[in-house]
Amino acid sequence: MTGNTHDAAAVRVEGLSRRYGDVRALDAVDVTLDRGITGLLGPNGAGKTTLLSILATVNEPDAGLVSVFGLNPRDRSERVEIRRRLGFLPQELGYHRHFTVAAFLDYVAILKEIVDRRRRAEEVARVLAAVGMERFGRRRIRTLSGGYRQRLAIAQALLGSPQLLILDEPTAGLDTEQRLRFRELLSNQPGDPVVVLSTHQADDVAAICPRVVVMLEGRIAFTGTPAALADRADGHVWIADERDERAYVSWRDSENRWRHIGERPPGGRDIVTPSVEDGYLLLCHAADAR
Amino acid sequence: MMQPLFGAPEPSSRTYWHPGADVLSGYAEGAVDEIGRWSVETHLQSCSACRAAVSAHVDRARLARNRAVVLAMTATPDVGVLSRAASRCGIPDHVLRLMAATPSLRRSWLLAVVGVLTVVTGEAVLARDLWPGGGRVVAGGAGRPGLTELAPFLLVGPLLALAGVAAAFLPVLDPSYRLAVAAPISGVRLLLIRSLSALLGALMPVVCAAVVMPGPSWLPVAVLLPSLAVCAIALAALTTVGPTTAVIAAGAAWVAPLVWLGVTRFPAEVIQGDGQILSALVLIVATLVMYLRRDRLEMGLVR
Amino acid sequence: MAWVIVPDVDPRDDVELLRGVALGDEGALAALYDRHAGWLTVRLTRRCARPDVVDQAIQDTFLAVVRAAGDYRGDGDVAGFLWGIGVRRLIDALRRESGVVRWRPWRSSAPDVVVSAEDQVLFGLEYGRLGQALADLSPELRSALEATVLDGLTCAEAAALLGVPEGTVKSRCHRARLALRAVLAEQPSSTGRFLRRQALESP
Repeated sequence: MTGNTHDAAAVRVEGLSRRYGDVRALDAVDVTLDRGITGLLGPNGAGKTTLLSILATVNEPDAGLVSVFGLNPRDRSERVEIRRRLGFLPQELGYHRHFTVAAFLDYVAILKEIVDRRRRAEEVARVLAAVGMERFGRRRIRTLSGGYRQRLAIAQALLGSPQLLILDEPTAGLDTEQRLRFRELLSNQPGDPVVVLSTHQADDVAAICPRVVVMLEGRIAFTGTPAALADRADGHVWIADERDERAYVSWRDSENRWRHIGERPPGGRDIVTPSVEDGYLLLCHAADAR
Repeated sequence: MMQPLFGAPEPSSRTYWHPGADVLSGYAEGAVDEIGRWSVETHLQSCSACRAAVSAHVDRARLARNRAVVLAMTATPDVGVLSRAASRCGIPDHVLRLMAATPSLRRSWLLAVVGVLTVVTGEAVLARDLWPGGGRVVAGGAGRPGLTELAPFLLVGPLLALAGVAAAFLPVLDPSYRLAVAAPISGVRLLLIRSLSALLGALMPVVCAAVVMPGPSWLPVAVLLPSLAVCAIALAALTTVGPTTAVIAAGAAWVAPLVWLGVTRFPAEVIQGDGQILSALVLIVATLVMYLRRDRLEMGLVR
Repeated sequence: MAWVIVPDVDPRDDVELLRGVALGDEGALAALYDRHAGWLTVRLTRRCARPDVVDQAIQDTFLAVVRAAGDYRGDGDVAGFLWGIGVRRLIDALRRESGVVRWRPWRSSAPDVVVSAEDQVLFGLEYGRLGQALADLSPELRSALEATVLDGLTCAEAAALLGVPEGTVKSRCHRARLALRAVLAEQPSSTGRFLRRQALESP
């Protein structure tokens, strides 16, 4: 019943499997998550949302072990205890559209069992300040643009200073400046929580996450730092003036030259330092090829 | 009220004395004696400059925090007319807010329910008026197979109550459903709070419509038990199957017997003793099931 | 976590701000807070040493202002209006916290602040004889007078606060005023008249 919050591996998953009908959303997934920010990178349909919803105790796996701060979500009372330490941003969060910003946050704070009205107001004020929406308390949610709604979604996850922050596609709809603020925000969370965020954009990971897990087709394809992911494509990325048919992937870069990722570049071509995205694309291709 | 102190603030016609800066800071730190305190405070009543000077001694972060709390609290006003009455009954503020967030207490929902009831009631009233002598209940009438015009109302009433309760836990009707599932607040508590408030919200129009309906005077009571029974079936079923299935099962459990009895027979059956006793039994059994399996009563995990 | 401080730049005067608050203008409430919350915090702290209780009282005060703003029949003394709300919210907060309300005990210790000579002269002019007369009053008379005159509580509220019957409060105020009148009658001056009006106006 007790959870040791100072476990080296705060969140552990072993042999996790989940299928929907014929589709294997997760296939024997093993992952450990520590304090700090971990990025979950993968294309749509890779199983990121399924994994995150299982960690958030919203979904139940068919097989496998899950341990969050030493607690087992299959046990009902431990599940509630996990939820007490949880902040969750689901994909495409819906809102009670007639609510004001402050009323919605107040509602979520009540769901998080913050019973005292004054403490709720303090928390609401704190998270609004954290996402830069101090003056938005009385605005109706339906009048907010997509970017502000996303900020509000992030704000509700921060209520109660959770020890485990699960954010499904949190940067969707945020512009570059907002992403920088978002990174700052995550790094300044009290209590150094375990943060796991999912995205299908490699540059998000490079900018925000010191650790990245790549998921492809329900399996873990890579675990490590973004730099290590980039290194996977070391020697596999080159630039040429013309498109090279032998490459796996090629596209025009910002200088209007062709960037290629492939097995082995033809001798003497301009090999360039790979980016995180290059490593990711190489992995994707390897998975496709299987 | 306030004792009159000085007259109008900031009188300009007489020489005005201000405490020195050290006196003001001494006052702010609590280091001035009581007579001095009296002097300063009386002076502060009417001098905005000295008030500002005193204010400067308060920690900025503390002021800002209280300010944010005030603005947050004023941005979440009381939930409405009923809140005073409810808080007097001892219902805590956060429970009231949860109830207020239930979809079926929204104006749009209530309007929809009232709309349906108006149609059904209107139809019954028309039937009575257009077909004189048809379907009138004679007090204490024995086994009269009339009351056909009550059929739509009796069919629909409990279903509306069921719909109201379903709105409390159907994922499709709660935009932030996954937040409710992932929340530590006990699934049972949340479900029951919402269901009960939804039940109240749904039953009131139904019972009010029953008062208006042309029928036996005990019609409001007669429609109450079946409504409660149907909702209880849904909640009991929720301990075993998913929310949508539970709602459909409860609805079917109500509609099927009525269809089998036939339009001409079922109103009388429902209103009279047998139907009421049966409803009461179903209610008791379903509530028992709910209670015994309450640890499975959770805002649906995706299974 | 940095809390954002907003400087007071609203050009409206206090009465206009109150009117704005009554109409639901959040900016007016914020401006009123920025202007008055500071000194109210200080003055409340002189009554109750616990910062958490004072914080509650401040928050409740401005919440109450939202409701009460419509009832303000402005004679311009908004500061007094706010203090009247604030002191009562403080009493409520104290009662919630500890069940019993304890004002800070009166202290007659020597002040830590050395008042400059010039200020002493001014002090003397403004409050000299009255101040001395107040100091000469017995503590019970003085506290009764302070609760009703300075804090603006009704006799009933002062009675609850001081833990004595209402009649006792009334008679103490009366005796205090008699004592002060006696002192001031000896040597009327412009400042004496000035202060007499403060201390001697009957409820």
